[in-house]
Amino acid sequence: MKDLITKEAHFNHPIEKVWNAISKAEEISTWFIKADFKAESGYHYTFIASQKNDCVNITGVVIEATPYTLIYTWIVAHTEVETTVKWELEATDNGTRLYLEHSGISKYKGDTAIKMFESFNGGWAGCMTELSDYLKKLVNAG
Amino acid sequence: MQDKITRLFKAISDPTRRDIFHALVIATSALSISQISNQFDMTRQGVTKHIKTLEEAGLLKIQIQGRERFCLAQPNELEAINKWLKFYEQFWDDHLDRLGDYLDHQT
Repeated sequence: MKDLITKEAHFNHPIEKVWNAISKAEEISTWFIKADFKAESGYHYTFIASQKNDCVNITGVVIEATPYTLIYTWIVAHTEVETTVKWELEATDNGTRLYLEHSGISKYKGDTAIKMFESFNGGWAGCMTELSDYLKKLVNAG
Repeated sequence: MQDKITRLFKAISDPTRRDIFHALVIATSALSISQISNQFDMTRQGVTKHIKTLEEAGLLKIQIQGRERFCLAQPNELEAINKWLKFYEQFWDDHLDRLGDYLDHQT
């Protein structure tokens, strides 16, 4: 079994535009999560959860932010262990290819992981903007 | 000290252990160390070592009956890893879709 999630996507947009979308706080806040973020190595960022329910923030440190590679740690508040999210962009003939890698999942302690799943039921999933009904069903089914 | 998920990953990282675990999962009853040795053409010692790692990860239970030890798979333990992966698989799928929509509609 793998300890890694990888995603690949292609967008018919220039690389600079995609880079801005994933690295500028104002844009991240629009499509992803409300963010206090700077694409600067060492910056302590916060993805801010909505205020309702018992939502928790995501925090972390930017490890690398050189066009077109963005790496930051990913820590769900009230959990101890960090995972790592890496974004890589590559220009193609008609747009941009995006590679996403989320790793380090096995570092989660068993109890922490279980607590996290329980917190999804408490609305954490709902905090992360609008997750699909499919996901909510999946999490609640647990 | 190793935590639970790390032990799980360690246990299933080895192809032989995965095969043994798989054999136990599809077996309708517990298998003895001898049965596993025969099936995998391995020494009892070799099997015992793998069984111990799987047991430490909570992936099987050992029952002693007379002079023989029987192994019973506990596949539910993999649930924790699966749920984590499933959650984030879906999370990133959804958000990459949103990123695509955002890029398409950005003026």
